[in-house]
Amino acid sequence: MLRYIIHRLLLMLPTLFGVAVLVFFLLRLAPGDPLAMMFEGANVSKEVIEGERARLGLDQPMIVQFGKWLVGIMHGDFGVSLWTGRPVLYEIGIRLQLSLQVAIMATILAVLIAVPLGTLSAIFKDSWIDHLVRIISIAGLAVPSFWLGMIIILLLLTYFSWIPPLTFTPFFEDPWKNMSQLIWPALAVGYRYSAVAMRMMRSSVLEVLQEDYVRTARAKGVYERLVVSRHAMRNALLPVVTVVGLEFAFLIGGLVVTEQVFNLNGIGKLFVQAVARGDYTMIQGLVLLVAVFFVMINFAIDMLYALLDPRIRYR
Amino acid sequence: MRKALLLAGAVLLAVAGAAGAQTPRSGGLLKFAVGAEPPNYDCHANSSFAFIHPVRPHYNTLLKFDTTKYPAVKGDLAESWTVAKDGLTYTFRLRKGVKFHDGTTFTAEDIKATYERIRKPPQGVLSLREAAYVDISSIETPDPNTVVFKLSKPNASMLSNFASPWDCVYSAARLKKDPRFPERNIMGTGPFTFEEHVAGSHWRGRRFKDYFEKGKPYLEGFLAIFVAGAPMVNALAAGEVLAEFRGHSPADRDRIVKTLGDKAVVQESPWVCSLVVTFNTKKKPFDDARVRRALSVAIDRWGGAQALSKVALVRHVGGVLRPGYEFAANEKELMSYPGFSKDVNGSRAQAKKLLQETGVPNLTFTLTNRNVAMPYTPVGVFLIDQWRQIGVNVKHDQLETKLYLAAQQRDNPTFDAALDFNCDFMDEPNLQLLKYLSHDRSAINYAQQTDRTLDDLFDKQSGELDRKKRYAILRDFERRALDQAYTIPTIWWHRIIVTNRALKGWHITPSHYVGQDLTDVWLE
Repeated sequence: MLRYIIHRLLLMLPTLFGVAVLVFFLLRLAPGDPLAMMFEGANVSKEVIEGERARLGLDQPMIVQFGKWLVGIMHGDFGVSLWTGRPVLYEIGIRLQLSLQVAIMATILAVLIAVPLGTLSAIFKDSWIDHLVRIISIAGLAVPSFWLGMIIILLLLTYFSWIPPLTFTPFFEDPWKNMSQLIWPALAVGYRYSAVAMRMMRSSVLEVLQEDYVRTARAKGVYERLVVSRHAMRNALLPVVTVVGLEFAFLIGGLVVTEQVFNLNGIGKLFVQAVARGDYTMIQGLVLLVAVFFVMINFAIDMLYALLDPRIRYR
Repeated sequence: MRKALLLAGAVLLAVAGAAGAQTPRSGGLLKFAVGAEPPNYDCHANSSFAFIHPVRPHYNTLLKFDTTKYPAVKGDLAESWTVAKDGLTYTFRLRKGVKFHDGTTFTAEDIKATYERIRKPPQGVLSLREAAYVDISSIETPDPNTVVFKLSKPNASMLSNFASPWDCVYSAARLKKDPRFPERNIMGTGPFTFEEHVAGSHWRGRRFKDYFEKGKPYLEGFLAIFVAGAPMVNALAAGEVLAEFRGHSPADRDRIVKTLGDKAVVQESPWVCSLVVTFNTKKKPFDDARVRRALSVAIDRWGGAQALSKVALVRHVGGVLRPGYEFAANEKELMSYPGFSKDVNGSRAQAKKLLQETGVPNLTFTLTNRNVAMPYTPVGVFLIDQWRQIGVNVKHDQLETKLYLAAQQRDNPTFDAALDFNCDFMDEPNLQLLKYLSHDRSAINYAQQTDRTLDDLFDKQSGELDRKKRYAILRDFERRALDQAYTIPTIWWHRIIVTNRALKGWHITPSHYVGQDLTDVWLE
């Protein structure tokens, strides 16, 4: 098992290096000059612009810039934002708390909705329960999270003349204020997220219920509740874990529009701002962060697989 | 009908509010929205409203605009001033007893250090307004409360420049230790001290107890929240923020007024901002003045202004200067310029004839625009429709800002025609006309032309202190600029601000950069 873990951890390094190379060079090959963005509308001389370019190190050959960036990363320094001049890690750090909390809340909501409803839907296949769950899940897939978010905001505004707080308060500072801001985006995102997982859970349970070992358990006279909870659900969870894990990683940087709708100071909003400003170092840092999340979550899923299915460990 | 009544009521409330003198109350936290975020803290290196709105309350300037009598200026750190008859010496008497937020005393040396930093920035310091003070030859401080600016030649805009909201006065002692100190630190003499800036979220200021104007500021503090677009409109409608000081579209105004009802106060004003069309004069057929003129003449600005004002934040027809400004052309003069006639059919016939003459009757080109909805998209669509009516086929290319700017880069411009903006902190020909100067004299001219006649006229008006003579030179400049049509004005913007009734003491001006120190603002 230890060898398996080390092997998987080592495989992360070339993946992350590949991401670093791609993001660094693609950004610089794309048309546009971040300095032009900084001085847009200002009547400044070419000398001033070139002075700034030199100060930011953007006048150096691309390969030198890349080398310096890599060396910095190895020392835990991701550089400074071209736009704000503040360290990239600082900018990401203050937003990561919010993004992580929304992602965790949405995941918990999604799992709490998807696992029981998906299972019920499979057990009571073609009954009214199944139809109802399918309607709920298909509606969830069809409705974009940001649209649901907008509807939530409009309803709150129309009926209560109230909108969620615009600034973030950490949970341990003021749990009520924290939740009153984040529960709404978590609901909007969690619903769509749960729909994906619900569909997966239903088909997975349906498939498992046809397996020989389930039939054997039933033939042995095991209670139906135990058949479902001990034999079917545990095995049916494997593909659901994958979906939930990947969705979670996506939520860290992918809530671009939802964060705009709720004015959340999260990673997605930072991503959009960095791209709009041509802030190379910030984009690089963010892409790497998301890549690290994806790689780590994939790793965690693999570990969970090994836990849920002992055969994987023995291979 | 209901919407119109609500709006009328809100405007009336604004008027009534302005007319009825109320005694300001002290206390309270003003929450307002800012559509973007300042990249750093240095006034001298910034140019966006996103900077001015949260940062200006921490600083004072030498002079400032009197928002109730704009464009008149009044003293801020200066108590009084005199200008020599030849326009070459400006002497300012400074206020006594002014303190910086760190407790040190403000003196003339701080003014000198500030303006030296702006006009001759030390190595590594960025100053965006060197050009505005190029005519200053020396700054003297005969005593701690007097500062004297000597100019090498007269400059008609100098006094207004001293009221620039960008010229925050810094501490000479701090600058001496570190000329880049203001980039990461806020330390001024302004009505509010700096409390915190949470990147991406908000900015907070607290009342400066030792502020030199006794009893001011009225507010206990302010909280500038970075929020834009629909969430900002929702926040205003819910009363979560009391104002956004840049401007709203007519649709947003109506929505906020509808929700806030009699709590809404609407203030409107013409705006020192316009959208201009720039032609790439390095590219055929835009190197031919007749083609450019034809495209300008084909635009029905009067009809367009009326129609677009219903859906976009544009409303006023004007030339190179904001209509209504003392140096701007009046309507009669305007109508004599190419592209400003009210005879639409006649103008279109003239445009077609010009294109026929130049051998491009079926001209096809791309209009490079930015993917910012308001007001770029409606104005872009309007222009394309106008040109279609003279047989010109235009592709609308709406690009994200980075690509939009790349298309207009100075060394290798690739665009045919582009929709560009011209927005300044005050009405002043020395600022607004920069767009029309030769490209080797102006970094914001994307048309790439060289026209020494325009350059000479610019210099002449800039040094002319006689207002009548300056007005006449400006008309010559304007006629030449519109005749050559390297860059042509479309429709000037209209500023709409909706505030919550609880907010008092704030007055709209044609600039969204001035009047933001919050000294006189209070909460009901």
